[in-house]
Amino acid sequence: MRTAPRVGNFLLQFLLPAALLLGYGVWSAQADSFYFPPLTEIGSTFAETWLFERVPVDLLPSVSRLAAGYGLAVVVGVTAGIALGLSRRARLTAEPVVEFLRALPAPALIPFALLLFGTGTNSKVFIIALGTVWPILLNTIDGVRGLESQQLDMARSYRIPSRSVLLHIILPAASPRIFAGMRTSLSIGIILMVISEMVASANGLGYFILQSQRGFEIPEMWTGIVVIGLLGFVLNWLFLRVEARVLFWHRGAKGLLGESAAAPTADAAPTADAAPTSAAALTADAPTPVAATADGRGPDTATTPNVPSTARSSRPVS
Amino acid sequence: MLEVSHLRKVYGSEETGNVAVGDLSFVVGEKEFVCILGSSGCGKTTMLRCLSGLAPATSGQILVEGNPVDGPPEDLAYVFQDYSRSLLPWMTVERNVSFPLRYKGMSKQEAKSATADALDAVGLGDRTKAFPWQLSGGMQQRVAIARALAYRPRVLLMDEPFASVDAQTRSDLEDLLLGIWERYAVTILFVTHDIDEAVYLADRVLVLKAPATVTTVAEVDLPRPRDQITTKALPEFARLRSELLSALRH
Repeated sequence: MRTAPRVGNFLLQFLLPAALLLGYGVWSAQADSFYFPPLTEIGSTFAETWLFERVPVDLLPSVSRLAAGYGLAVVVGVTAGIALGLSRRARLTAEPVVEFLRALPAPALIPFALLLFGTGTNSKVFIIALGTVWPILLNTIDGVRGLESQQLDMARSYRIPSRSVLLHIILPAASPRIFAGMRTSLSIGIILMVISEMVASANGLGYFILQSQRGFEIPEMWTGIVVIGLLGFVLNWLFLRVEARVLFWHRGAKGLLGESAAAPTADAAPTADAAPTSAAALTADAPTPVAATADGRGPDTATTPNVPSTARSSRPVS
Repeated sequence: MLEVSHLRKVYGSEETGNVAVGDLSFVVGEKEFVCILGSSGCGKTTMLRCLSGLAPATSGQILVEGNPVDGPPEDLAYVFQDYSRSLLPWMTVERNVSFPLRYKGMSKQEAKSATADALDAVGLGDRTKAFPWQLSGGMQQRVAIARALAYRPRVLLMDEPFASVDAQTRSDLEDLLLGIWERYAVTILFVTHDIDEAVYLADRVLVLKAPATVTTVAEVDLPRPRDQITTKALPEFARLRSELLSALRH
């Protein structure tokens, strides 16, 4: 009874892709179009090109640039975001520059990056990092500012040193927002990876697509596009897996876990006293808008902490 | 023990600011259980913030075990009213309790046994691997109490810890707390706005009026161990209760 719908749902996911592929296959077989080669031809070209001849030549350089640029953006964005989130003064100082730089489309800096770093990998990494750092930075700032003041009071009253507060309270508390930013940045990173490789490059997926098109190798061009699509799909899937693991507690606290997952321990059997879902509703942690539309215009809102509980502890008693 | 003399706390400047604590003096003796009773807005929370070293006093002195408070004291633990905000949802129950202990200089072994003891004392020995959000409100507050106990404080400050649980859970938690108080031999200062709760728990009840000044002191001579039914049926209980009620009203 229970498995049948599950298998059905699983199969349902493949229905539309299969139908689209089939539709294109049938249409392209008789279309005889130069720009839309038959599916079979794209398929065989794909096998020739990407299994696995060009993987080390084009795919690996692209992925490693993305990894380096994105990794750099995560480290810089989270570090700077925590610093700016904690200090209002730092936020006020940095705000105009942050707002200006983030309004600047990263591709506008490709010519400059080429001058500075040459046509090699470094210029691509620079562009990817530059474009992906902002969502991470702004979300981290917001996450840190949304911290429960009572968690910090608790830490102070137990004399927990600031290094540990940072590592074990501030960072985990901000992590849902950090992940929201990282997710936005991941897709930006893939875009910038392709764009940066289309300008003054000697390899990479973007380079491959552009070269194929210039050489009128249309099936090759299509396979490059498919590879990028697959890459984005896989990376996003991996990202979600990691996020689900790291933010397990967050989804639980929000009451979003399924019944089985909400009770991961054997002894968490439902007792009269245990009411995971209703208790979770009360465990509202920091008001965490999920959207990644963090804006850093802090000065006016910076003075009013956006956590209701702070009112109780810091307000003069009336 | 805890000594408070002429504590004053003003938010803002002395002339125009908001006086949260006027002139507060009291002493809580070794292993005594004192309840502070006051209606909302009488300055209870500000007082607790000063006592716990989270907020500096404007003037006056606070001594915990003879040492003046100028920051969170080592011998004191604070149980917050809002357990859902003071427990860390990304840590298991066990980790929530043991987290502060390392910084108190306990070894891994000591921290482990202190954590197990405390969770046993609050009756959560079998839920150590659960996350706070998997527990009911009453259980979460028990975790917060266990965290305070494992810290091995001499003085326990409690800010309306049972205000947001249902009545049945509340009386269970009151009895649990009395058991813990005996077992751990701590000095407890317990803030509440519930007269019955104050009389039931305390050796002494102080009535606080805004701006946090003691107006009435009632000694509670009810026999121990106390019982939710028989203690509350005693004529002395009724007498104290009406005495405190009228003190609160005037």
